[in-house]
Amino acid sequence: MPDFDEATTAAAAPRDHYRDLLARLDQVGGDELADRARLLDSIFRSLGITFAVYDDERGAERTWPMDLVPRIIPADEWRHLEAGLVQRVTALNRFLDDLYVGDQAALHDGVVPRWLVESADGYSREAYGIPAPAGARCVVAGIDIVRDGEGTYRVLEDNLRVPSGISYVLENRVAMTRVLPVAFARHRVRPVNHYGSALLRALRAAAPPASGEPTVVVLTPGTANSAYFEHAFLARQMGVELVEGRDLTVEDHVVYMRTTRGLERVDVVYRRVGDEFLDPAVFRSDSLLGVPGIVSAARAGNVTLANALGNGAADDKGIYPFVPDLIEYYLGAEPILPNVTTYLPWEADQLETVLDRLDQLVVKPVAEAGGYGIVIGHEASDEELGRVAEALRADPRGYIAQEVVRLSTHPTLVDGELRPRHIDLRPFVLSSPAGVEVIPGGLTRVALPEGSLIVNSSRGGGSKDTWVLAGDGA
Amino acid sequence: MLSRHAEHLFWIGRYVERAEDTARMLDVTYHTLLESPPSEEGPAWRELLEVLHLHEVFDDEPTAAAVSRYLVLDPANPGSVVSAVDRARTNAQAVRDRISTEMWEAINAFFLELQEMDLGTALDRRPYEVFRTIKNRCQAINGVSAQTMPRDDGYRFSVLGLMLERAEMTCRLLAVRYARLTRGSQPMWFHAWVAVLKSVSAFEAYLKEHEAALEPTRVLEFLLLSTTFPRSVLYCLRVAETQLGGLTPGTRSTAQRLLGRVRARCEFADVDEILDSGLDQFLEELQQDIYDVAEAVDAHFFRSGTDLDLRSIEST
Amino acid sequence: MRLEIRYVNRFVYPTPARESHNVLRACPADDGTQRLLDFDLSIDPTARVLTYVDSWGTRVDAFGIRAPHERLLVTAEAVVETSARPAAPRGVAGRSDYADPEIRLDLGQYLRRTGHTAWDSAIETFARDVCEGIDDATDAVAALDGAVRDAMTYTPGATEVGVDITNVWATRQGVCQDFAHLAIAMYRSLGIPARYVSGYIYASDLSGGDLPDQAEVEIETHAWVEVLVPGFGWWGLDPTNPQDVGERHVKIGHGRDYDDVMPLRGVYHGPSEHTLSVGVQISREGLTRRELDRMQQAQAQQ
Repeated sequence: MPDFDEATTAAAAPRDHYRDLLARLDQVGGDELADRARLLDSIFRSLGITFAVYDDERGAERTWPMDLVPRIIPADEWRHLEAGLVQRVTALNRFLDDLYVGDQAALHDGVVPRWLVESADGYSREAYGIPAPAGARCVVAGIDIVRDGEGTYRVLEDNLRVPSGISYVLENRVAMTRVLPVAFARHRVRPVNHYGSALLRALRAAAPPASGEPTVVVLTPGTANSAYFEHAFLARQMGVELVEGRDLTVEDHVVYMRTTRGLERVDVVYRRVGDEFLDPAVFRSDSLLGVPGIVSAARAGNVTLANALGNGAADDKGIYPFVPDLIEYYLGAEPILPNVTTYLPWEADQLETVLDRLDQLVVKPVAEAGGYGIVIGHEASDEELGRVAEALRADPRGYIAQEVVRLSTHPTLVDGELRPRHIDLRPFVLSSPAGVEVIPGGLTRVALPEGSLIVNSSRGGGSKDTWVLAGDGA
Repeated sequence: MLSRHAEHLFWIGRYVERAEDTARMLDVTYHTLLESPPSEEGPAWRELLEVLHLHEVFDDEPTAAAVSRYLVLDPANPGSVVSAVDRARTNAQAVRDRISTEMWEAINAFFLELQEMDLGTALDRRPYEVFRTIKNRCQAINGVSAQTMPRDDGYRFSVLGLMLERAEMTCRLLAVRYARLTRGSQPMWFHAWVAVLKSVSAFEAYLKEHEAALEPTRVLEFLLLSTTFPRSVLYCLRVAETQLGGLTPGTRSTAQRLLGRVRARCEFADVDEILDSGLDQFLEELQQDIYDVAEAVDAHFFRSGTDLDLRSIEST
Repeated sequence: MRLEIRYVNRFVYPTPARESHNVLRACPADDGTQRLLDFDLSIDPTARVLTYVDSWGTRVDAFGIRAPHERLLVTAEAVVETSARPAAPRGVAGRSDYADPEIRLDLGQYLRRTGHTAWDSAIETFARDVCEGIDDATDAVAALDGAVRDAMTYTPGATEVGVDITNVWATRQGVCQDFAHLAIAMYRSLGIPARYVSGYIYASDLSGGDLPDQAEVEIETHAWVEVLVPGFGWWGLDPTNPQDVGERHVKIGHGRDYDDVMPLRGVYHGPSEHTLSVGVQISREGLTRRELDRMQQAQAQQ
């Protein structure tokens, strides 16, 4: 099956919502586009928008690679995506509440196997009993969406811990309006620059009930963190303090920041520090990035951690296959956005399917962290496949298997010409007692090498500005 | 503002000033030696190390080349210009969002310039140029800071740091120079006092005030007690006091009390009385007092309680 | 048996410590066979204590002290009424019952390796050999319990918590936590769910079986195991001490290993050195000291 291209039909004709943009790019021409791409790079350089490259020992930073050609999502498609995202994140928040402060009804009722939850890396025993305002265990979610060969939007992965990338969405837009102002103006693109105030609103709404005018801070691991730029950016956008662990202190289970005028109470901590490092009194005792006592303060209901502890239980590979079931269970509704087709080898009939089609599927161990042990069938040797089959038979509960998704392609500027490159999409979803909100668009990532499906910026990935069209009457 | 930010800003001020003062002292020592007998060289450089409290850690023969390299480009010397600028930059980086882009760029560009320069060769060939560059860059940083930073607490902390550092450095300079220079022969010290004044850019200002009458006592008075010259100890303390007062309006902190006391002592001091009762002791006390002020500022505004290492305990 | 427990931790720092945050798991469980009559916690310097029940059902007391302090005294006092715990009878289940998915899956957390129970092939081989040919679940569990005790030598101070059980097994020496972790690892390596129990024991010493002569003993906290026997439930076994887990064992709580039920852990900012004196006093019979104290107080007030 050919790849699904976002901008052109199988017959190589521009899709309606791209007609104007493609014509415009054609009119501008290759040399001019290359010039504008250089302008784009220099804008990012002067704005200081870079990301750290971990394997570079000099700690060098690269300019954020943004492609000149925007991705366009028409209004009706976005409505579908938005409804699906709201539904999915609502259910995931319900699940987390059920798990940590509820009756674990979904486990008792067998919707999700208890053992899978208990073996999930991100399941946190410490999170048990820690309150969070309704629907706000996951205030900021980043849901990775792909589009398959038929053009169906599917959820590839949920990121409910400390998802990053929103700052690039905002900066991409700023840069885009400078580089392609005419094309931008000709489309009615829904704005994204209200993210800072939307985030602040959600965080304030998630404050403990007693806090009158809540004080919000952003907690960063520090300047050495690869996403520090984003942490500083968001603090600035919200007009709140960017703090490190040592700036906070806990007294009588209340969190304060240390200021030159004494201790100042903090009500909401938008923390970009992972669970394991957050509180050395209960997690890793050698963590210098955290705040001793902050978990007790959250448990006492004196501070809201956003996102809450233990959200990893719901974005785990092993739990993912059950999210559609959780949507039905909690919301009594059909899932709007499907998962990528996933097989559970511990179900006898599915094991046979997996073993038969091992060379076409992706096999992922459920209890392994960080992508360790993933085997992509069509890239694996017979010997490797033999080993995987053996492992699956010996411990079918240790793995899930998924269909390979051919990510959709999108025209991308490569050496002065538009070429199809694979893309995905990470929209950002904000949840709080005030409601669930999706920022129009999200981060579109593009795999720059020809044929590559790997969109990570650390591995040759770039990004695109994502235009959600306002549509009629909006 | 966050205590940590305030502390970074305070130290940006101090480190930039430290880099500048170190360059100034190197510059003047070179100048002095140009017209002095070669036998003076060793003692003069040793004296400089004493001013900077580095004479005990510097092991080599104190020659012009060795001392200037040590004080300018040795990264192992925490008091070197390179180290001071590096630290100023590290502090600035930590409050990147709190300082103006121009100020960050001025500090960062200076840091990068020093990194890229072949400082060793430059010091051998054109030492004055190196010193002048350092001085200019530091002044540029302070100028940019004054012109682009809002007059908020952040600015106050950075100026407070700068002024305390400058006051202390001036004390140190006088402590060593005065004792030595009053022992030498008349033509010797005349030349040396010119150098001292020049080292703090005070020569012209002094002449204007005293009409070329170069007297050690008057020089001392000028550098210590002038109310108009911006590098005199009293002037620095006055500015520091204003900044500190702005940080805690309506209250009186220990730091303020200590600073007020030391400023008042200079304010109402008489240079002849100081000399009668012993300059060494006066300067020593002054330095101690300034040090105490900095400690009190630290305790009042910065001390986080977590400056000590984190330890874990476990009991079975 | 009515027991009064006094568990004291005393930290002394050479220079002041500050920003100390601690989590205590010292309160006896109230679980049917053991009744908690009284629990009292005192912290010096005083601190506001946050009390909650964790995911394992254990009571936790969390507290922090920001102000500089040169010593920290944590005193937990409890009165419990214990009773004998039934032993698993033979014949309720066979070894093959452990393959039941209800056990294999739902109790998976008590079957996996953890930081303190990461077994190697030497440990697994030993366990398999001991249980070779034993089909009855109770017999297999008991056989392994006895084999660990026979093979190991109780050596106070031989190890610190955190030592690898493969080293414990190589030297055949350890303290009660090591015995418990080792036994758990052996059970798990055979697919038998086992969990770690933290508690107190009223005995003259941790490894001896004798009932103390004196009414009050000075001892340390104790650790033992609970092993699942299908059709019966969790069976308490003490690999360190040859007596049955019963009246003289006071359970605080259980978990996958030590880390889930650590009696006291915390962090502080301050000097690297500190001295810790920790002690458990347990008394029984007649009037407890607490009751005596109260009577005396009452008299004094009259």
